[in-house]
Amino acid sequence: MKNFSISIRQVDAVRVLDISGELDAHTASQLENSLKSLIDQDQILIIVNCRGLDYIASAGLGVFMAYIEDVRGMGGDIKLTNMNERVYNVFDLLGFPTLYDIHDDESEALTGFKK
Amino acid sequence: MSNLSNIDDRHSRFELRTLLETSRLLIESQDPDFVLNNLLLITMGKLLVSKGMILIYKPGEDTYLVSRSKGRGWHKEESEINANVSIGQQETGVLIGEKHSELFEELGIEKESVLFNLKTSNYHIGFLCLGPKGNKQAVTERELEFIESLTIISSVAIANSRMFAEMRLINRRLDRKVHDLNTLLQLSKDFNLMVDRDEIARVFKFAMLGQMLIRTFFFALDVNGKKSIVSISGVKEVPSEEELDYLFELEDITHTSKESTCEFLSENNIQLVIGLRFQNEKIGVVGVGARANKQEYTESDVNFLQSLGNLALLTIQKTLLLEERLEKQRLDEELNLATTIQRGLLPDPLPSIEGFDLAAINVSSRQVGGDYFDFIQTPDGGHLLAIADVTGKGVPASLLMANLQSMLHALAPIDVSLGEASGSINNIIHDNTPADKFITFFWGKISEDGSRFKYVNAGHNPPMLFRDGAEKPILLEQGGVILGAMPTLMPYEANEIEFKKGDLIVFFTDGVTEAMNPQQTEEYEEERLIECVLKNRDKSSQEIMDAVIVDINKFADNIQYDDITMIVLRVN
Repeated sequence: MKNFSISIRQVDAVRVLDISGELDAHTASQLENSLKSLIDQDQILIIVNCRGLDYIASAGLGVFMAYIEDVRGMGGDIKLTNMNERVYNVFDLLGFPTLYDIHDDESEALTGFKK
Repeated sequence: MSNLSNIDDRHSRFELRTLLETSRLLIESQDPDFVLNNLLLITMGKLLVSKGMILIYKPGEDTYLVSRSKGRGWHKEESEINANVSIGQQETGVLIGEKHSELFEELGIEKESVLFNLKTSNYHIGFLCLGPKGNKQAVTERELEFIESLTIISSVAIANSRMFAEMRLINRRLDRKVHDLNTLLQLSKDFNLMVDRDEIARVFKFAMLGQMLIRTFFFALDVNGKKSIVSISGVKEVPSEEELDYLFELEDITHTSKESTCEFLSENNIQLVIGLRFQNEKIGVVGVGARANKQEYTESDVNFLQSLGNLALLTIQKTLLLEERLEKQRLDEELNLATTIQRGLLPDPLPSIEGFDLAAINVSSRQVGGDYFDFIQTPDGGHLLAIADVTGKGVPASLLMANLQSMLHALAPIDVSLGEASGSINNIIHDNTPADKFITFFWGKISEDGSRFKYVNAGHNPPMLFRDGAEKPILLEQGGVILGAMPTLMPYEANEIEFKKGDLIVFFTDGVTEAMNPQQTEEYEEERLIECVLKNRDKSSQEIMDAVIVDINKFADNIQYDDITMIVLRVN
């Protein structure tokens, strides 16, 4: 299996997904499953912390596209934080910063959810 | 006097410093807005005017955009002015109202205003317009010179920042292209490792969503005429069968309109539908919804969609072919097994019957066939001999052949007459097989002492009995109708012959007499068979049979279309 892992933390009402390794065609479904199960449990305040993320492919970005509207429709959000420059570049190239709440640090995103 | 020149000096120094500072400020800035705003404020302050505008020339439309406007009464910011500016005017550094009254009128500015050209050596950027001075005095030569210097510096700064912005845009487009190519390359590698069609379709979907910034997507495939959705996202309802048909009939690249008659397309705001072809046949359709950044699909997006779509399509096609190959392999293995089983149903080795010389052969044109022959010893010490040909070839024929074989073996130990048994067999076959399946069947029983041969011919090619001295064979024809065609209404009639020394019987199926010449114009026929047998009349059964086979192969140039079965029985 490819080097990719997800773990979920709870910070107050927010679920934080720490993802690390390479998010590509093979590993995208792991992220999909995690997001799906959070949504199924009505856990819709989600932060995806990308601190350990080394690489992201279009398929990985597609998973976010597939679920953002559902989550926002339910009154929640998926916020992204702590990307390294290379990963941010890919998000930026495809135009994600205009659609997603992207923060340098997880604490900013947490504050964002408290407002 | 000295006082005046002192003031002059101070003026000069002040202006020089302003120029120097402004130029540094402007040259270092990569923001055209900042440059323009500063230019306007500095010059308005310098001339003490209450109205000022920056006009930016739009070459494509030949109009001027009011980029900045300060004070009252002039055009508002962001408005556009149609003005006829001659090439000469576009190249002149400073324009004053007295000489260019028409232009000033068109721009809606007083004739005491001044236009400073914003231009580089290559092109005209626009104008800096400064209104009349508050004290109504004319603009001095010195002031004109100073402001012209500032506009020149600003023009260079604007040109630079424009170039910089353009480079940044080009760079970003390049980065995007590189990313697109990387995505294609990476996915072609990823797809290569995948055999699960669902996974391929899912990865394709996510790559599309991420790459195109969309939420609505569908991918439909036509596998052997059956159209279905293989992956989908963000739609309210999957398309109906009619809608799927409609999607496959669209042009290969269709930018759908809002008024699309297809409910599936309009309901889900699908904006672009792309047909994917494999060997020129449209077997896939991809549709994408509105982009989250509100952008239209460009030609390069369409190209990317097509490339990625084709990649997914080929990968899925590959898995289908792989499955087909595995299935074929499995069938081949089964057929090989069937061949072995069928071989086992034929007598091997041939039994030896005292007083007779026996030879037999069975060659299937396929792995399994519908021809059958057998020798079965009966409890009374006699021998049953059978030959049969099931209509058709291959597996269906072989099943019926096996059925017949088991019936004969079940009947052999029972003491029933050949005629009655033939009737029963016919009824069973008629009841259990489709109307178009028949068996031509001949069987006979060699008496226990080997002196007599009782037989029934159910529509089979009559075996030929060659007697010593006779030029023509006797045909063993008596019996009844072909097996399986109709229920037994008339009993099968058995006939009996006495064997004589030297008698030779040749049993065969139609694969022998209907063997074709290479031109497919002529059959081997009975004549040639008789001729060949007579020519080899005195040889052993095996030798006679071999001679016939060699003769047929020569006639047909070794091409076999039908199963061939032959028995040669010689009375010693």
